[in-house]
Amino acid sequence: MATNVDNSPAVTSGSWVQPAARPPYLRRRLDAAPFRIGVIGTLAIAVLGPVGLIVYQSFLDGPFFSPRSQLSLDAYRYILSDPSFYEALGTTVLFAFGMVAVAVPLGSILAFLLTRTDIKAKKLLEILVLMPMFISSIVLAFGYTVAIGPSGFVSIFFRETIGFVPWNLYSLGGLIAIAGLSHVPHVYLYVSSAMRNLPSDLEEAARSTGAGIWRVSRDVTLPMVLPALVFAASLNILLGFETFGIPLVLGDPNGIMVLTTYIYKLTTLFGVPTYQLMAVVAMVLVLITLPLVYFQRRILRHSRRYAALGGKGGRTTSLKLGRGGQVLALSLIGLWLFVAVVLPIGGITLRAFVDAWGQGVNLMDHLTLANFDNLMSVPSLFRGILNTVLLSVVGGAIAVLIYLLVGLAGHRNTGLSNTVLDYIVLLPRALPGLVIGLAFFWVFLFVPLLTPLRPTLVSLFVAYVVVGLSYGLRLLQGTLIQVGPELEEAARTTGATLGRTWRDIVIPIVRPGLVGAWALIMIIFLREYATGVYLMSSGTEVIGSLMVSLLQTGAMDTIAALAFISILLTAGGLTLALRLGAKVHD
Amino acid sequence: MRMTIMRALAAGLLTAAASFGSAWAGGIPAGYPSSYADLVKAAKAEGAVSIYTSTDSAQAKALLEAFSAKYPGIKIEYNDLGTNGTYNRVISEAAAGQVGADVVWSSAMDLQMALATDNYIDLYVSPEAKALPAWASYKDMLYAATVEPIGMIYNTKALPEASVPKTRADLIKFLNDNRDTLRGKVATFDPEKSGSGFLHHTNDARATSTFWDLAKAFGAAGGRTYSSSGSMKETVVSGENVLAFNIIGSYALDWVKQSPNLGVAFGTDYTPAFSRVLAITKGAPHPNAAKLFIDFALSRDGQNALASNGLPSVRTDTDKGFNLATLNERVGGNLKPIALDEDLLEYMKPQVRVEFFKKWKASLAGS
Repeated sequence: MATNVDNSPAVTSGSWVQPAARPPYLRRRLDAAPFRIGVIGTLAIAVLGPVGLIVYQSFLDGPFFSPRSQLSLDAYRYILSDPSFYEALGTTVLFAFGMVAVAVPLGSILAFLLTRTDIKAKKLLEILVLMPMFISSIVLAFGYTVAIGPSGFVSIFFRETIGFVPWNLYSLGGLIAIAGLSHVPHVYLYVSSAMRNLPSDLEEAARSTGAGIWRVSRDVTLPMVLPALVFAASLNILLGFETFGIPLVLGDPNGIMVLTTYIYKLTTLFGVPTYQLMAVVAMVLVLITLPLVYFQRRILRHSRRYAALGGKGGRTTSLKLGRGGQVLALSLIGLWLFVAVVLPIGGITLRAFVDAWGQGVNLMDHLTLANFDNLMSVPSLFRGILNTVLLSVVGGAIAVLIYLLVGLAGHRNTGLSNTVLDYIVLLPRALPGLVIGLAFFWVFLFVPLLTPLRPTLVSLFVAYVVVGLSYGLRLLQGTLIQVGPELEEAARTTGATLGRTWRDIVIPIVRPGLVGAWALIMIIFLREYATGVYLMSSGTEVIGSLMVSLLQTGAMDTIAALAFISILLTAGGLTLALRLGAKVHD
Repeated sequence: MRMTIMRALAAGLLTAAASFGSAWAGGIPAGYPSSYADLVKAAKAEGAVSIYTSTDSAQAKALLEAFSAKYPGIKIEYNDLGTNGTYNRVISEAAAGQVGADVVWSSAMDLQMALATDNYIDLYVSPEAKALPAWASYKDMLYAATVEPIGMIYNTKALPEASVPKTRADLIKFLNDNRDTLRGKVATFDPEKSGSGFLHHTNDARATSTFWDLAKAFGAAGGRTYSSSGSMKETVVSGENVLAFNIIGSYALDWVKQSPNLGVAFGTDYTPAFSRVLAITKGAPHPNAAKLFIDFALSRDGQNALASNGLPSVRTDTDKGFNLATLNERVGGNLKPIALDEDLLEYMKPQVRVEFFKKWKASLAGS
């Protein structure tokens, strides 16, 4: 939830893009088997260990480590008869589908405008539209409170000019709108890569028979990218089920609760920990999301047939928007960017530099740098910033190497181990980061050889690698798949082993892609907040989780300053990513 | 940032000077057993003390710096885990035989009492215990380190000081009389989401006869609940809420210094107060350093450091910030600290808890 910009299973690997380009299967040789089995086996342990622990915990009547705990279905009975659970479940379903209703149409329109038309400033927009994806949703939520909450500066402006505020940020509708707008890039990414590769001859044919641009997009372009749309929609439903930051902050005042915040509430409800109840809710989430993921895989298989319609070699020419069209399109995108990026970032930036705000407060009187004082003088906060940078930069690089190993193990692998790999990758995706973090806390606490690692950043790193697995692997598989199979075959026919082929052919070719992947993983690790909540300890603080834990006492001054730093770091990471030529577009 | 460093240096020097000046007979504070020098030596040999706590590090800064200045060789590992995080981690680590905490310092008085009665806490008779009131310690296991009034904050632009309710009965009447103008603009803790809020509300339910009337008046005014004092402050400062009650008043006393449109009030008839409770874990990796830390935190110097950071002292002989006596004056003379006794466990029983939540929700829903 928190981490993954993108929840698609690893198998998707951008294959919208290369229709019908399935390589002839390489002879399956045994020389790669030990490597594959070794890597996939290790990964299986790293993922199935904590997940298994959660499954086991859900069938107990107390903490799994308590000698008094027994096998029991009581936890299921409690949850399934708790009205709050059903309320949270209902809200979550509404939330997820509402998010789709906002994000999918907008994302598709954006994708159409940026790939099929001659819209101005295309290069710049392609980067800007992805911005919301890189900001941690907890930062977004704080930012919106200051901007458009009941006493936000935009709300006050509206109240003073038109007499009332035409929205309510803390309503379910408000939550859905915010979440939907911030998930537009996820839709855009998928739909745009599908659209980019459509040959334009069909559209041109329609244009030449006199169809208008909207008619063309509706009757020609839309049906051809339908699988991508369905896929993006199911991805967003998945993300909707796992959103934590936005409902945690914005749902609080009116008591709007979704499943993830319901889990969080279970930690306080009984005073003592009720891990079994949390585990049951996590199981419910898995049972809902796994079929979704399976469904995604199926659409993907069909999509190859769809995409093949176009054939290859079709030249893409842009549809002309005309002057009015340009203005309309650009203002639409501008408005969306204003709401999804400028408002929250503006809000949090403002909050970081004032000590009071709201109705009747002159912000100029309250400008201060004092919020940042603590960051430098309180050791844990300062360490949190250092650790976050370390974990993203160094940890991100190591993570890319790990994902590369896993990617190679799955590369041109058609055996059973690849199917196993696919599902292992999906599992952590189906669980909230909060719960995964808790499971890893237990693993590092109770597995004898691992205990010395718990108070070090290694424990967080391992959890981050698992939480970021599906996104990271997708990035790397997308890169690996671009290596022409004939190059590998050439090496193999001249007698090179598979290992040698990878070392001398594949890895050198994908090296630029690796650098780009590193930069993106870095941003993902930067914005993560849920995984560390239970895992971090003195010396291993990270910014995101510090914000969640500070929220318990509500030290908003410090939270705002941390959020501001987090945005600065993300901006730095993104600049670096673009410099290094990361292909943000799949 | 240079200012910050200068300030930190100055503060460090001041505290160092203060501790140098305090009565030390042969390196042992007055009133301490003569064997105390051995304890200090053993603690220095351990070289570290690990604290699990619910207190933000920014608020504990003065105490930690003063401790480090007095015992330079002992490194403080400070883990701000929240109340539930603290409790969960202590019991998980005990089960794994991997105890990491030396000192547990939490504002969840009920959870601390549960740790003590469930055998997670070591016995230690602090030489400072004599200076504490009787309600502030429990069976040589738990020691209250602060006394923090539970009060109300309000937006001074929306609510002039003269109309601020002064007593519990006033507050109920005020909510009922202004039901429509206050609609959706009154806040308090959500007891389901916040351990502190749960303690404040249940303590009221135990100690007063009018708590449920208050809950109903709050519900009838369409009040909203939050999971932290800080987020309530944010909404009251910005005018989103007019007032918030049963919040942590010690924070509020600090906040009003910065925010001109924020006011703080305490019930003159009855002001409950909670404490942040110190304890040493059984099997602590640095037991001697833990003892040293607890003694220091309860000592006059330690209490002064806490009070200077806005956490009022539980003693009466300190001169920085508020102490038990001056605080009582500040809140109108009826400060009623929550006692460290086994009554705290009443609401730990799942049945009693569920009943409380039911009644709370029903009151808010207006039945």
